[in-house]
Amino acid sequence: MTTKTRHDVASLEELREKGRLIVQVGKAEIGLFEVDGEVRAWRNLCPHAFAPVCEGRVCGTRLASNVYEYVYGRDQEILRCPWHGWEFDLKTGQHLAGEQKLRGYKAEVEEGRVYIEM
Amino acid sequence: MTDSSRIAQTEEGAEAPRIIDADVHNAIGHKDHLLPFLPKAFHEQWLRGGPGYGGGYYGNNSVNRSDAVTDTGGAPGSDPLFLKKHHLDRYGIDYAVLTGSGILGISLNPDPDFGNAVASAYNDWLVETWLKASPQYKGSILVNHSDPPEAAKEIERMARHKDMVQVIMCSGSRQLFGQRVFHPIYEAAARHNLPVAIHPGTEGRGIAGPPTPSGHPTRYLEWHNILPTNYMAHVNSLVCEGVFEKFPEMVFVAIEGGLAWLPHLMWRMDKNYKGLRDTVPWLKKLPSEYIRKHIRLTTQPIEEPERKDHLNAIFDMIDADHMVMFSSDYPHWDFDNPQIALQQIRKPLRDRIFARNAMDLYGLHTRPQVGEGAVRA
Ligand code: FES
Repeated sequence: MTTKTRHDVASLEELREKGRLIVQVGKAEIGLFEVDGEVRAWRNLCPHAFAPVCEGRVCGTRLASNVYEYVYGRDQEILRCPWHGWEFDLKTGQHLAGEQKLRGYKAEVEEGRVYIEM
Repeated sequence: MTDSSRIAQTEEGAEAPRIIDADVHNAIGHKDHLLPFLPKAFHEQWLRGGPGYGGGYYGNNSVNRSDAVTDTGGAPGSDPLFLKKHHLDRYGIDYAVLTGSGILGISLNPDPDFGNAVASAYNDWLVETWLKASPQYKGSILVNHSDPPEAAKEIERMARHKDMVQVIMCSGSRQLFGQRVFHPIYEAAARHNLPVAIHPGTEGRGIAGPPTPSGHPTRYLEWHNILPTNYMAHVNSLVCEGVFEKFPEMVFVAIEGGLAWLPHLMWRMDKNYKGLRDTVPWLKKLPSEYIRKHIRLTTQPIEEPERKDHLNAIFDMIDADHMVMFSSDYPHWDFDNPQIALQQIRKPLRDRIFARNAMDLYGLHTRPQVGEGAVRA
């Protein structure tokens, strides 16, 4: 196991102002999102066909429902890939219609700065 | 057939069926034969106009095999005794699931009252003429899908006959079968644990839409080639509209529609679902999983690729050996002979196709108690 390094990547204030940030750490692009008061960091690479997934729409969705019922929920907790529209749960990285997941990193906020471990 | 290796034993020790034929066309020998079962008010319309769903293509083969004319010169498929001798006994077929002839398109007559009356008359005739003639014959309850509430009542009326093993309707339609207008039919079928089957041949006839979204093919060959696209459309619709979420036990039998198109449809549906899930939020799993669980197919006319292994490859792609049932389409021209039709298919699957899958679907676990030629008069 390689040891992880903590990187100072952004200010929380800027993340809140812009709604999301895409930062560079080494060769990797990382998308930062604040969801429900917690910062999440996801690799900007869609597991489907490598689109810059973190540039997709942040939205809600229609939740699993009975036939012909429409239940909106998860507002601002879903990331939608800009290419083929796969929906990802911003809290877990899970694709809502399959097995695949976004690659994530541990993010922490300390004194107004966002740190990620990778 | 005398392939004794195929004779399996059931739990009770009784012999299991060897071959079940899931598409046999029983014909009404003469229009008069339906009159005892049809309200007087519709006699003239039936006698002068017949089922009245018009159209159709010219094929240089008649729809029926010319060798299937009965001993007494009757229409092919019109005599239970002759059919048993000429088809069931000859090939060692234990059960024939009867699918009707020249009447399936009754849903496409513009007059739903006439359609309902004829469908009911046919069902009563089927019980009296065929199902009472031999336990080897199993019936399909014909419904007029253009009038779903009445079709549901017809299912209620006929489901008590234990020899009726499914509901049947023509695949030609004005609308796709997943749409909710049809759900009363599925609700009634599900209540009685009956599969719902469709049969092709009426595409573009009567009040049905044209056989393709770009209109009518020019000739019979061209029309016949492309029939499976309608099956793809119906299966797609049933899954996407959530029919199998709403009726979780329902099985839908796609008779005579081919099967090599299925991997393509499954892959395409799954791919799209991954990006468009929120447009059908009632689906809880990949579309292909609903297809595997709820759709059954029949073999005839089995695809005949030049390379034997290609057909097995298709079955591998579908990945569901329980889905396919043998059918001959007797007495139609494109009949599949059970002695040669499935030779390309790997043996364990072939055995499932000949009997096991239909045994499970239709609950036909033991061979019927009849000897050769034993048809009750
Ligand atoms: S690349 Fe993201 S959905 Fe296809």
